[in-house]
Amino acid sequence: MARTDIFGLAADFADPGVLMAAAQQCREKGFEKWDVITPYPVHGLDEAMGLKRSRVPFFTFVGGAIGFATGTFIAWYMNAFDYPIIVGGKPFFDPIFPFPVMYELTILLAALSTILGMFLLNGLPMHYHPVMKAKGFASTTDDTLRITIEASDPLFEREGTRAFLKEIGGANVQELED
Amino acid sequence: MVASQGRKDWSGIALAAGILFLALSFLGIWLGFARGDARPAYGVLIMFSFYLSIGLGMLLLIMLHHLFGAGWSVIPRRQLEHGITIFPWLGLVFVPFLLISYLTAGEDQGFIWKWFNETAVADDVLYQKKKWWLGETFFLIRYFIYFGGWILIASKLRRCSLQQDVDGDPKWSRAGAKWSAFGIIFTALTLSGASIDWIKALEFHWFSTMYGVWFFSAAMRAALAVTVLSCLCQVYKNGPLSGLFKTGHLYDLGCIQLAFTVFWAYISFSQYFLIYNANIPEETFWYVMREQGAWWGVSMGLIFGHFLFSFLFLLFYSNKVKAGPMIFISVWVLFWHLADLYFNILPSKRLDYDLYIAYPFSITLWDVTAFLGIGAICAWSYLRSWKGSQLIPIRDPRITESLQHHGR
Repeated sequence: MARTDIFGLAADFADPGVLMAAAQQCREKGFEKWDVITPYPVHGLDEAMGLKRSRVPFFTFVGGAIGFATGTFIAWYMNAFDYPIIVGGKPFFDPIFPFPVMYELTILLAALSTILGMFLLNGLPMHYHPVMKAKGFASTTDDTLRITIEASDPLFEREGTRAFLKEIGGANVQELED
Repeated sequence: MVASQGRKDWSGIALAAGILFLALSFLGIWLGFARGDARPAYGVLIMFSFYLSIGLGMLLLIMLHHLFGAGWSVIPRRQLEHGITIFPWLGLVFVPFLLISYLTAGEDQGFIWKWFNETAVADDVLYQKKKWWLGETFFLIRYFIYFGGWILIASKLRRCSLQQDVDGDPKWSRAGAKWSAFGIIFTALTLSGASIDWIKALEFHWFSTMYGVWFFSAAMRAALAVTVLSCLCQVYKNGPLSGLFKTGHLYDLGCIQLAFTVFWAYISFSQYFLIYNANIPEETFWYVMREQGAWWGVSMGLIFGHFLFSFLFLLFYSNKVKAGPMIFISVWVLFWHLADLYFNILPSKRLDYDLYIAYPFSITLWDVTAFLGIGAICAWSYLRSWKGSQLIPIRDPRITESLQHHGR
């Protein structure tokens, strides 16, 4: 049964090997709302956790396509529609001479929407998160490997999940205040 | 353990096929020469440029690896080190062009490069201005500098890597980086020079400041495609590289391939764009000739096939991590790279020199024999190196990093 009075539970792990196995067990158990906090990237952890690929590239592609269309449109609108003017004996509109504009806007909007997509998908900006109040949070940026399971997960049980975290090798199990 | 253990040796067959088809190609050049038709020679020049670009791209990739101190690419690097053995043989393939240009007299000297026939171009103002570079002696000296340099750098880089397999001394990695620091500048200059001398100088009236970079970008694309193919061939059906060459390596090669797809388009377009904007007849004629007849279709194919399709295809992560799609796109890129070389070389053999009528697009039997002949010689050279050396650089200081490479 889901609990709302606490944010969830956290447990610390001794080394990346134990952590990797524990993450795998969390995934196999069927938890959905959980996370791993490590001070450095652990190769293969994303696979052990069963994380899917980020959807940021979708934002990049859409942004790029919009940029390309915008570049094409403004070149046509300004030079061929709103105020047709002959420059260098070239046609009013042609895909060749405004290509740098189309291309630059493709890159610009692709880059901006990549950052925007990353912010949206990560829920940024986020000035507070319950794990920041946990004991030993500072050392998770140094030498502590930690798994947190959130209370809003359908499989979460205050005692059952505490026992599960100990069973998979976790130490210093603590409750996280919301 | 060397790579060849317990595997069928194809190198003898490749050598025999290479000599046979190359002899046929040279016969073609000679037959053509006898009746004043340079088309067979152009075919050999196209195929020579094709394999040369692959070799030069591989040489540059190895040097980039050394200069960046890259770890992930140690495993695929060994394939490149087999590939760069082809330079001495390519140097020999070039000899008939030199023989025709230097040993014949009068009209015939300008058989391939028109300006070799000095009486025909004596009154040509553009020739007079460019004579200091195009002069016959300097042209020959440059041929020796180009091939001499490439052979030297390739053999030094190979020695650094192969000797390390034996003694495991990290000093070889440092020596490789030193040779690369010199070699990358040398190769950048000579690669530009070679493409200008042998391809661009077919139209010695023309101006383009982008030509060397175009050849570089095309060479990198071709070399990456061949690298992917040669690695995946050895993964196929539990081949020797299976379990060593992993998804991460394939993905990263795909990412560089994507980068150079964009770079090739950027350079090719920039060349067109500058000439289009300036609109000066001395430059535009080159493109005008390449819009005649079937060349129009080829040029559209280069834009939408060589660039746009490859770009969109390589954009998707799922295409870069599977063998099937990567083999497909590598073959695709090599096909269009060849079309790009046809597009750059063949129209310059004009049907009517004074009216700027391009030579129409065609594929002849001599093109096929040259493709097979030079290709088989290169394959033999590759296999000869492959069977005599370790499968991967086993004692490279960064081999563990490459073995554990995790790409995502």
